[in-house]
Amino acid sequence: MDNTDANIASAPLPTANTLRARKNLIIQFGRFLAINTKMLKIIRKEHR
Amino acid sequence: MARVVVLGGGIAGHTAALHLTRMLKRSDEVVVVTPNSNWNWIPSNIWVGVGKMKTDQVTFKLGPIYKRKGIAYEQALATAIHPEGGPGRPGPYVEVTYTDPTRAGEHGELEYDYLVNATGPKLNFGATPGLGPDGHSYSVCTSGHAVDAAAALQGSIARMKTGEGQVLVVGMGHGTCTCEGAALEYAFNVEHEVRQAGVRELADIVYLTNEYELGDFGVGGLTFTQQGFQTTSKLWTESLFRERGIRAVTGAHVTSVEKGVVHYEQLDGSHSSLAFDFAMLLPPFRGVDLQAFDSDGEDISAELFAPNGFMKVDADYSGKPFEEWRAEDWPSTYQVPRFPNIFAVGIAFAPPHPISRPRKSPSGTVIAPSPPRTGMPSGIMGKLAATSITEMTKHGASAKVPSGSMADMAAACVASAGSGLRHGSAASMTMYPVVPDLAKYPGTGRSLDDTFGEIGLAGHWIKLLLHYMFIYKAKARPGWHLIPE
Repeated sequence: MDNTDANIASAPLPTANTLRARKNLIIQFGRFLAINTKMLKIIRKEHR
Repeated sequence: MARVVVLGGGIAGHTAALHLTRMLKRSDEVVVVTPNSNWNWIPSNIWVGVGKMKTDQVTFKLGPIYKRKGIAYEQALATAIHPEGGPGRPGPYVEVTYTDPTRAGEHGELEYDYLVNATGPKLNFGATPGLGPDGHSYSVCTSGHAVDAAAALQGSIARMKTGEGQVLVVGMGHGTCTCEGAALEYAFNVEHEVRQAGVRELADIVYLTNEYELGDFGVGGLTFTQQGFQTTSKLWTESLFRERGIRAVTGAHVTSVEKGVVHYEQLDGSHSSLAFDFAMLLPPFRGVDLQAFDSDGEDISAELFAPNGFMKVDADYSGKPFEEWRAEDWPSTYQVPRFPNIFAVGIAFAPPHPISRPRKSPSGTVIAPSPPRTGMPSGIMGKLAATSITEMTKHGASAKVPSGSMADMAAACVASAGSGLRHGSAASMTMYPVVPDLAKYPGTGRSLDDTFGEIGLAGHWIKLLLHYMFIYKAKARPGWHLIPE
């Protein structure tokens, strides 16, 4: 039996604050730098 | 002087060719054989498929780049490899059929010292009756397919604007498909577009997938830390589906597609049908139609290729059960064991087994994602083959070549969930290693420090940055080689 839709219905729902943070230009610029840093770390590992 | 023939001009083949021409001596020759005259940044096809980008923004002509870099370019389809040469012909060669309009249909033979098979996949729409652009569903596998998908999607949006409800199905067209991430991206971009068009309430969007559960992505799912907890890509993806109101059907093998109806079997053995107004379903992949012959002209294709048409390399193909899978099963040099001057990289190499746990329905239908090996891993393998060949030209067949197993390879992936510099969104993910290594990382099989996921506008900016950066690199502009794979 496929419970996927039931699982989706009970999955964590982001709050309005979380959704706003995901669109906030200042916060997201910071996340842009942070995520790129994480990715560069992965890439450095790959090209070591 | 060495002659290297690269079959395929996609991410793996093109990367290999560019690095080869940089690493080899000027007297060495690099030849690229590819049936398509264009290079395509496939990750951005999903934006073409919703009308946010044009074809010329994701493709460019390979010919002028190769002319500038001194790479010989043959617009042709490789049909057979003769790794031992042939009767009266001592050296190895490849047979090709030209697709270049000026020589269309002509037969050719290209001798090589080293061969890189980067032929990518054959889009196997034929595996599912009615699947694909020649049937009743759309695809975003090529930029041309994506243009057609965008036009059909706009048709559905236009009908919704007249008040007509539409069922939009996006997902996988067969139980053994790969690239679930791309289908998921497209589903969320479709949702983004209908929301932007102001008709979201009239769209029933269904994601139809062969994954056992959401967030599997063909890599058995991910575990990462978030706000002090370990969480899974399953929960994370389900949360995104809940937030955006997209339904999902998992563990599904599409058995056929008719006009406006998709039929599928699920892991529990049930058979269902889903009526749709628009469907974008990706095809399963298989190896291209390439044969191999020995010096007597005997067919040795079964030695060089797995039954799915992908090339067998230095992996363990003994077919061990899931419980016995090990990281060491995966290839590290991508050389064909009996012919170490042949490399198969990117999608062209045969994985020893899936990464996700394989599952079957009660009737025996295999419903399990095939392992992804596109994008960053493809580029890394292309460069690895170029480095190995360069070492072999310097030191002979006994040269020490670098290794790069997917069980020791990291991948970064950005899955778009809608485009727009202010309103876009994407899931940024990294994983290390791609193939879980439970001996090295007990529990999850991956490093929790190097595996993470995050959703937000920043992800869209990163995906856009990668789009421009990799097209710049592929065009071999100044400093291209400094941009990592």
